[in-house]
Amino acid sequence: MAEITAGGIRFHVQRLAAGDRTPQLGRLGPPVVFIHGLCLDNLSSFYYTLANPAAHAGADVILYDQRGHGLSERPRTGYRISDSVADLAAILDALGVDGPVCLVGHSYGGAIALSYAVAYPERVASMLLIEAHVPVPGWAEPMAAAIGKVGLDLTEGDLGRWMAEHARLAAIGKDLVNHTTLMTDLLAAEPLSARELQMLTCPVHAVYGEHSDVLGHAHLLDSLLPRYILTVLPDLDHFVLLRAPRVLRPIVLEWVTARTVVGVP
Amino acid sequence: MTVDQIMGEVRDMLTEIIGAEYAWSLDIGMDTSFDADLELESIEFVRFATTLKGRYGDRVDFVGFLADKELEEIIGLTVGDVVTYIASCLILAGAVDG
Repeated sequence: MAEITAGGIRFHVQRLAAGDRTPQLGRLGPPVVFIHGLCLDNLSSFYYTLANPAAHAGADVILYDQRGHGLSERPRTGYRISDSVADLAAILDALGVDGPVCLVGHSYGGAIALSYAVAYPERVASMLLIEAHVPVPGWAEPMAAAIGKVGLDLTEGDLGRWMAEHARLAAIGKDLVNHTTLMTDLLAAEPLSARELQMLTCPVHAVYGEHSDVLGHAHLLDSLLPRYILTVLPDLDHFVLLRAPRVLRPIVLEWVTARTVVGVP
Repeated sequence: MTVDQIMGEVRDMLTEIIGAEYAWSLDIGMDTSFDADLELESIEFVRFATTLKGRYGDRVDFVGFLADKELEEIIGLTVGDVVTYIASCLILAGAVDG
């Protein structure tokens, strides 16, 4: 397993270099870093559907499981967004990536991407957000209510059925909710201010489903970010990445390759 | 190496990944499906790919093997599909008597 110890935590990291299958593209531009969502998510949401094709198209791709998720270590504490931002910086440091990167953030991973760009504006060249949560005041409570259900012994409903079918993943999610500080850290996270978001000068492309419960975040970003493109996908909800990877793929590949392989600023 | 030896190695890797308590009731063989039988999660499949790379190195380009497949095709693979692919790569590399 590809492991990196960063900030004292053992992380599962995958780096997919384009290299040998696309020699005509030559040396790579800024790496593309994929950041997954909270609790039941991990890097495999991107691995086959977006990351591998991006590497195939010539990008230098980095994926990692956040602390507590996937195949990374699951400490009992350290689940504030500021911890996730520090983890990402430590992982990139450990990989020797000191130049700016292109971030791809999914759901809560979008909140981390935005917070990382606010903390380290010089380390982010561009951003693609998929169904991103935007950590503004009042944002955490509905998310915590939804995440909290993972800690219950549900057997009914979409979530209960999903957890029954994915017992090993469900066990990780339950442990995170019931036995770590994830829930309290989520509610205690310092939100970003409108001013901080207005200061983000890197280009941002956001993709949301037409029926997403967080579509309001798309319009909030539109009102604040100076360089912003929004794509709303018809007939889809928050689970765009899960339900429609084929719809998402050309959008992501076009953005990522233009900014990392071809060199569009 | 023989195909049976590769099968044995792959069985050991999969037992390690899903845990002995899940694997003990399954007789992992060539017809075992990653999804319907092993119920392998996609993150576990990523770990499997990494384990294969660690064991066979560049002789087996498993990521390249998967690159042209959609997720449902990948999950629909059987253990035999992967063992056969590994054997074909090792034959090319001269490590299996074809």
